[in-house]
Amino acid sequence: MDANFEAIGGGGNTNLDAVVTNRLGDDDPPSSFANWPGKNLQKYSGALGNVDDVWEDNDFADVHVDEAVELHQTNGNFHAVPLGSHRLNNLFYNIEVVESAGVDPSGINSVASLVEALETIASETDAVPFTHLLSGPWATVQLFGTMMIGQHGVSAYNDFIDGNPDEDAVTTTFQSMKTVMENYISDDASTIDLTGSNQKIISGDAAFIHQGNWAAGAFRNADDFAYEEEWGATSFPGTEGIYELHFDSFLYPSDNPTESKTKDFLGFIGGTDAQIAFNQYKGSIPTRTDVDMSAFGPYLQDVQEDFANAEARPRNLYHGLGVDADVRTSMEDVISGRFSGPFNASRAANGFINAVSN
Amino acid sequence: MPGPFRRRGQGPDRGEGESDSPSEDGADGDATDPGSARTDGGTVQRKRESSGGRLSGALDDRFGDDFVESLPFWLPAFLLMGLFVYGAIIWNFVISLTDYEGFRDVSYSSLDFEMYTRAFNDSGFLDAAQNTVVLLLAFTVLTLGVGLGLAILVDRNIRFENTFRTIYLLPMSLSFVVTAQFWLWLFNFEDGLLNQAVVLVGLDRVNWIGDPQVVLWAVILALMWQFSGYAMVVYLAGLRAIPQEHYEAAKVDGASTLKMYWRVIIPQLKGATISAAVVLMVFALKAFDFLFSLVSGYRPPNGADILATKMVREVYSGTPRWAYGSAIAMILFAMALSIIGPYLIYQYRRGNL
Repeated sequence: MDANFEAIGGGGNTNLDAVVTNRLGDDDPPSSFANWPGKNLQKYSGALGNVDDVWEDNDFADVHVDEAVELHQTNGNFHAVPLGSHRLNNLFYNIEVVESAGVDPSGINSVASLVEALETIASETDAVPFTHLLSGPWATVQLFGTMMIGQHGVSAYNDFIDGNPDEDAVTTTFQSMKTVMENYISDDASTIDLTGSNQKIISGDAAFIHQGNWAAGAFRNADDFAYEEEWGATSFPGTEGIYELHFDSFLYPSDNPTESKTKDFLGFIGGTDAQIAFNQYKGSIPTRTDVDMSAFGPYLQDVQEDFANAEARPRNLYHGLGVDADVRTSMEDVISGRFSGPFNASRAANGFINAVSN
Repeated sequence: MPGPFRRRGQGPDRGEGESDSPSEDGADGDATDPGSARTDGGTVQRKRESSGGRLSGALDDRFGDDFVESLPFWLPAFLLMGLFVYGAIIWNFVISLTDYEGFRDVSYSSLDFEMYTRAFNDSGFLDAAQNTVVLLLAFTVLTLGVGLGLAILVDRNIRFENTFRTIYLLPMSLSFVVTAQFWLWLFNFEDGLLNQAVVLVGLDRVNWIGDPQVVLWAVILALMWQFSGYAMVVYLAGLRAIPQEHYEAAKVDGASTLKMYWRVIIPQLKGATISAAVVLMVFALKAFDFLFSLVSGYRPPNGADILATKMVREVYSGTPRWAYGSAIAMILFAMALSIIGPYLIYQYRRGNL
């Protein structure tokens, strides 16, 4: 099949979103485009077509986890097909740094014990205990989601994203974040981006980082930096057995210029071959549960195991699944205005509660 | 007041091209210096010969000589500009009157100014508008000041004059994408050059990007660095056009150097100031590129949001709010027009248009 793949410029999501938004607005939709499913589909309401037949013909519902089936439809119709998944509740660390401080990451099982560990790193080493980027609000929104799960559990978090937030849970989560931000992140947080933040782990200038496991791709590409020798990964404290879910999916616009070819393409995207070929290089895992993981490296094999055996797979906060694009934008406004230094926990909590309640 | 700009209010028939060249006495550098080139050219003397009779004659009488004959030269460009620039502005204005949102079809049935009232009740908009105005004014005034200072220094027959001029002008040739990354490194809290300098003089490190009280000034500083060279070149051209006698006369009258510049030279740079200010203000409105490159997105650091970034964010970061984005665009357009408009009127009155 011939396809006209149009590359978008650098800048990734930002640029892609703008191009897709313009084309959908101009009634010139692409055949398909990459984006997040879940609540994020609401942004495109009125512009997405139905791919129930793709799911049915390929028996996707049988081989994907329940969450994938649920999150790729609105009002009972499928609009997208998943290609891969990242895990969001990760705590990555530089082994040499944590060992030199005498901290055992596997023993950190709550947000409170994380703060203790960060304090130990701060007093025992010169490294930044917890590297976090503040150059954009997205990483802080993302951290809030994971930290809330870690501190208050999946059901409190689900209540929050479903619009019934518990004020106390939101406020105490922000207070924990304030403790971390004020004491344990690097001073140059507001001028570094994701690459810069990852680099601090690679160079041994920082001990811990919370990120989606795309960060593992950066670690893998660094020289002399091997999984379980130089860097390690564990569940974010308090989220053991939980896989905070992320999907990379392809959405299907209505008025599709190449209807049957696009559906063939989506059938391929959700198939075993494409999911192996793509994910092993992107650093994500297949969304199918019947894929032979032997082509993947040891880290991703571990992730896939966590994915398949997870007791809960809550929808992520920033990356489209948990809240729609407008709520996400409001949350970014709140973080940008109230929680990027100085860190005002109670005002930020109010802002988040308003954002999900509306 | 003496000077090249005293002929205010005279019509286009008066030639403006003849200038008193300062290079006659040889004291002020070479005549081929690009700095001495005049920008206002000189208007060709018009001939009033009505060709009389028929429609073309009537049109010529109404719109000026050669109206019909010149049509093929300007009409295509006029129509293209009309459609793609002014047509687009008008269409944008119409969209700003709708409630167009998301990917449903736009409805033109109920047009109102709701989006504009919404803007003035949106604290994010007001912050962005305030930042835009502060950026515009502070950047322009400071850049003109630095440019004037540099121009006066470079104009005083220093050695390596051309080298210095090139060095100062060079930043302007760089893309915002490059300079934003430059400045991101310079602004780094820990190892940025700026904070190294701040520590060297015994002060506390400044959180240039992270502190909402500081970040807008940090952006202004970066933009100044980039555009002071441009202001310098414009002023240098202005300085070169001032006859050497004015300096000498001031000296003979016993004026100090400071007083000479303040009372005699700088007042003659009004034209240069206005031209440079307009261009700088337009650059300030385009600071979007810089902010976008600084954070790789259209959400600038807290405290540095401007209307341009706010406008794009409204359309592209959540459900696309086309109408609201268009309304912000119109407000931005009105601001730009309020800068350009008086300048155009000023130039027209002086007969330069």
